Amino acid sequence: MTLLDFARGPALQWSLIILVIGVMWRIAGALLIMAKKDLSKPRRKTAVRDGLTTIATRSLPEHQFEKKIRLQHYSGYTWHITLFISVLFFAPHILFFESILGFGWPHLPNDVILVTAAIALAILLALVIRRASHPVQRLISNADDYISVVVVIVPLVTGILASAHIGARYETLLAIHLLTVEALFVWFPFGKLMHAALTFPSRFQAGAAFGRKGVKA
Amino acid sequence: MSSLDVIAVKVEAATGNVEPLLHEIHHALKRVADGKEGTVIDLRSLPLAPGEEEQIEAVLGEGELRAELDALGPTVVQETSYPGVWLVTHRNTELVVVARFIEVTRMPELLNAQRADIQCGITRLETELARCSEETARCHEE
Amino acid sequence: MRKDQTLGEYLHAQGVSRRGFLKFCSAIASLMALPPSAVSQVAEALAVARRPSVIWLSFQECTGCTESLTRSHAPTVESLIFDAISLDYHHTLQAAAGEGAEAARMAAMQESPGEYLLVVEGSIPIGNPGYSTIAGMSNVDMLMETAANAAAIIAVGTCASFGGIPHASPNPTGAVPVSEIVSNKPIINISGCPPIPVVITGVLAHYLTFGTIPDLDALGRPLAFFGQNIHDRCYRRPFYERGQFAHTFDDEGARKGWCLYELGCKGPTTYNACATLKWNEGTSFPIGSGHGCLGCSEPNFWDKGSFYTPISAGLWGSREALIGAAAAGAALGIGSALAARASKKKAQAEEEAKSS
Repeated sequence: MTLLDFARGPALQWSLIILVIGVMWRIAGALLIMAKKDLSKPRRKTAVRDGLTTIATRSLPEHQFEKKIRLQHYSGYTWHITLFISVLFFAPHILFFESILGFGWPHLPNDVILVTAAIALAILLALVIRRASHPVQRLISNADDYISVVVVIVPLVTGILASAHIGARYETLLAIHLLTVEALFVWFPFGKLMHAALTFPSRFQAGAAFGRKGVKA
Repeated sequence: MSSLDVIAVKVEAATGNVEPLLHEIHHALKRVADGKEGTVIDLRSLPLAPGEEEQIEAVLGEGELRAELDALGPTVVQETSYPGVWLVTHRNTELVVVARFIEVTRMPELLNAQRADIQCGITRLETELARCSEETARCHEE
Repeated sequence: MRKDQTLGEYLHAQGVSRRGFLKFCSAIASLMALPPSAVSQVAEALAVARRPSVIWLSFQECTGCTESLTRSHAPTVESLIFDAISLDYHHTLQAAAGEGAEAARMAAMQESPGEYLLVVEGSIPIGNPGYSTIAGMSNVDMLMETAANAAAIIAVGTCASFGGIPHASPNPTGAVPVSEIVSNKPIINISGCPPIPVVITGVLAHYLTFGTIPDLDALGRPLAFFGQNIHDRCYRRPFYERGQFAHTFDDEGARKGWCLYELGCKGPTTYNACATLKWNEGTSFPIGSGHGCLGCSEPNFWDKGSFYTPISAGLWGSREALIGAAAAGAALGIGSALAARASKKKAQAEEEAKSS
C-alpha cells in the first residue's frame, strides 16, 4: 500500500471515526451534565431570543476592552474566515466532502483560494510567534494552545505546497497533506479546537439562563 | 458518425509555449548570424495544445526554398519566411509524421550530399564508366 | 538480415542512403527523448550495432502489449528497430509452433548465453503454477530457466511490471510481476496498459545504441519516458491552475476542453509519456479525447477506487460507519454524564446526611 493509499484509506477512516466519536461524546456529555433545576419563576415565556442575542453580542468584544484587544480580535476573525473559505470553496476539497457527505457545492477560482490560504497562514504564524514571545501570552499558554494552533498551521502549509507542486512528487505531497488533516481530525475532540462545536451552544446556553432570570447577558 | 458531429466542441486550450519557442528561434538565429553554430529544436519535446503547432507554422510562414527527400518515406525541408529557419518534417512510407524539427542554420545537414553516399556514387560511376568503355570497345570491334 | 550484420550494413543492404540513415537516427533520437545534438552520436553507435537475440515470453496476459507494438503501420521507422533485433521466440509472431517453437527458444538461449534479451509480457501466477503453462511448463519455471542466462529482462506492460489486472483484488491466481521472481538480473519495467509502442521500441533502440539499460526510476521504469507525470505535461494544465473543471462528460466545460480532475483523472499521480508522445502515432491520448487518465502505468491502478473518483476524494467514505460512530460517541457521552450525575447525587446525599 502506498503512502497515498494509506492516507486516503485506513488513516482517513480511523481519524474520521475518532473525530465523530470524540465530538459526540463531549457534546452529549456536556448537554447532560446540567446544573440544578432552576425552581424560580421564568421572567419570559421562552429564552430562545436571549440565547441567540447573546451569541451575537459575545461575538463582539466589550467596548471597554476593545482598544487593547483590537489586534487579536480582527486578526482572529480574518484568519478564521479566510481559512473557512480555503477549506470549503476549493474545488478538490469540495470533491473530498462530496465523497463523504454525498453532495457538493460551487467552488471559487484557485487564485482566490491561494490568496485566502496565504493570508490565513501568515496571520496564524504571526499569532503563534507572538504567543511564544510575548511574556504574558507565554505565561498563560499551555501545550493544548500550541498543539491546537500547530495542527491547523501544518495542513495549510502542506496544502499550499501540494497545490503548487513544490517540494516532492505530487503523490507524496498529497499524502502528507491528507495525513496532516487527519492529525487535525484526531486532535480535534480532545483540545481547544472543540471550541468550534462548543462556542455557539455555550453562548446560547449562557444567554438563555440569564434571560430566564431577566438579566441581559 | 454524423451524430458525433452534432456535438459542438470548441477547444480553448493553450499551453503558452508558442511565444517562448519563437524567442528561442530568435536567439538561435542571432547566434547563426554571428557565425556560431546552429540549433535544432525537436517539436515533439514540447507539450503543445491542439492548434498550437499550426499557429507556429502560420507565424513562421513559407520561404522561397523547399526540398523534398525520398528516403524511408518522404521528408520535406521547408525554409520558412525567415531565412535560416527551416521546418523539417519526416514522414514514413505510410505518410505518418515520425519526427518534426525546426533547424536554425545556414544549411540543414540533411541537404548536404553525405560522404558515404558520395563514395557509393563514385563506385557506381566507376562501374558505369567501365561498362561504357566496354560497350564502346565492343562497338568498335563490330 | 544476417545475425552477424551490423545495423548500418543491414540498412545499406536494404538500399537506405546515408541521408535516409540520418533521418532514421533523428527519429530514434527524438523517440528516446534525446536532444537533436545527440543524433550524430546515435548514428555512429547504430552504424556498428549488432543484432541482439530477443526471446519474448507471453505469460498471463491479454496480448495487448504485442498488439500495441505490432498494430502500428509497417514499415515505420520505429518498426525498423523491431526488424533490427533477432526475435527468436514470440508466440503470436513466430512461424514455428509446438516442439519446434520450444526448440527455437532453447537454441537462442544456447547460442548467445549472457547476451540475449528476455522480454516478458504478462504476470506470473504462483498461487498455483498450473494456472498458466506453455508446453507443459509452468510460467514460473520457464521464466527462471530463460532468465538464468539473459543479459537483461524487459517487463513489457503493467502485468509484467507490477502484476496488472490478474494481480487486482482478490488476485485469484496469485499473480506476481517479474521483479518478484527474478532478483539477480537487471529488469526494465515498461509499464502501461498497454505501453505506448514507441516507448517499447525506444528502450530497444537505447539498448541497440548504447548497449546498456537506460536510467530507471524507483519503480524500474526508464526515466526518459516515465520521469514526468501526465499532469505536468498535460495541455489542459492551465485550466487546472485556473480551477476550470468539467463536471460531466458532456457539459460546457467538457466541450471547451477543460480539466478533467473532477471526472477522476489520475494524471497528477501517473508517470508516463502519453501527454507528449501520445497514441496512434501522435493522434491523441485519453485526456485529449475527453476522458480522464486511468493511471494505467502505476502499480495497483485497478484497486485505487473508481476511475471516476477524483484524486482528492477519500478511498473510504462509509456513511453507515460514521453514523455508528456518532451513536457510539453519544452513548459514551450519555453514559459518562449519567455516571457523573449519579456520583454527584450520591455526594449530595452524603453531605445532607452529614449535616442533618
